[in-house]
Amino acid sequence: MARSGRSSQKSGARRVTLGILIFGALALIVAQSAPQISNFFLPARTTVSDRIGAPADTSLWAQLTGQADREQRIRELENEVRDLARYKAAAISMAERMEAYENILNLMGEPPERGVTARITTVVDGPFAQTVLANAGSLQGVVPGAVAMNEGGLVGRVIQLGDRSSRILLISNYQSQLPVLGEVSGVRAILQGKDRDRGVLRDLPEAADFIEGERILSSGEGGAFPRGLVVGTVTKQGADWIVKLAMRDHASGYVRMIAPPEIVEPLPEPEITEPVSPAPASSTSQGAQ
Amino acid sequence: MKSSRLDRKRRTLWSQSGPSPRLIFGAAIIAIVGVLGMTPKELFGLTLAWPFAALWGAIGWGRAGLSLRPMILLVIFGLMQDIISNAPLGCFALINLLVYGLSAGIADQTDGMRDALVAVVGPAVLLIVAFLLIWGFASITSDHLVRSWPLFTNFFMTGLIYSFANQMFDLGRRPGESPGGS
Repeated sequence: MARSGRSSQKSGARRVTLGILIFGALALIVAQSAPQISNFFLPARTTVSDRIGAPADTSLWAQLTGQADREQRIRELENEVRDLARYKAAAISMAERMEAYENILNLMGEPPERGVTARITTVVDGPFAQTVLANAGSLQGVVPGAVAMNEGGLVGRVIQLGDRSSRILLISNYQSQLPVLGEVSGVRAILQGKDRDRGVLRDLPEAADFIEGERILSSGEGGAFPRGLVVGTVTKQGADWIVKLAMRDHASGYVRMIAPPEIVEPLPEPEITEPVSPAPASSTSQGAQ
Repeated sequence: MKSSRLDRKRRTLWSQSGPSPRLIFGAAIIAIVGVLGMTPKELFGLTLAWPFAALWGAIGWGRAGLSLRPMILLVIFGLMQDIISNAPLGCFALINLLVYGLSAGIADQTDGMRDALVAVVGPAVLLIVAFLLIWGFASITSDHLVRSWPLFTNFFMTGLIYSFANQMFDLGRRPGESPGGS
């Protein structure tokens, strides 16, 4: 009898514990609707992302034998070779044209964009957000809001930056809004994520239309992304213009993160101070003096 | 003689192990599947639907009744899922706990009914509940109705694997409980 009483007491305690845990989780979710509380958890999230995305610890054996250093050096060289190969291909095809353009326009050539190449360690394709985690962070020179690209084109931008990791919100995410333009038509629109491989164009102009199959580039409006990055190719499906994202065609598992464009704020206008007219009373008194 | 040989065959290592080793084994499976799920999941260009592994634990462990250790594990797994999938903290912990509680409730209500109907319908109902909860939370927190098809494929995979691997998440009895005791 006493035993069954203890049993029901234990069972009740377990139910209460479950209830408390469920209530706690619900309270935590509700509390995060306040940005202050949501931001409070951001460092913890970033720290965990750092651990998941780029574990810094190497085994003692690897350190003793120098294997860790060799592997690190190999990774650096691989990154360098990858960068150089891309630059070589781009340089061969563009140098001649660029020189001609510069001569015509009498322009000074711009220095190449510096960036950080990182490996994608985690892919999140869940219902909440489409993000990837890359194993380079602020220590490697990634800056907040950095623009991520792969061999295909634009991938997204950094929304969370840790010491050794960066979380990139993909352009295929539903909440990602990207100002774009057609390469040939020049028509502008906003690209919104549709599903994993495609996006849909919104805010289309009434008078003009895209050309079926043309490349879609970032327009640079808004200042979040540089102008001219390849986004994908456009096709018409029913009433919608659908963009097949180029980043999915060349997914090698690496991304290159470059600093977002800097928009220099205009200098404030100098304040013009009007000369103060003397009060009539004082002028009369001055006149009397 | 024949029956004793049969008994020896039936007494596998798994059948002799208690709830604590089973809990650790199940948690390790969930952790491994979860970690593998963070990597890019493509096979010959096709994207693989990855299961919500923690739900296996929530459904399976709940069948042995409520207990503190599975609850703690489910909260930890839930928080990890929240961080990885960029969901609000507590979302997956809440869903895991709710499914665990419901699973325990179903097991309590259908005590002793280990027939096929309960074994199939119970997890199916729990997976549907979990699907609706995740879809609802994702839609509310991202201010739009999220696509249900990819989520459905993930849940289909969760259910499919659970139908084969449910024994791995069967604790037999509540952790810490002695055999035959309460």
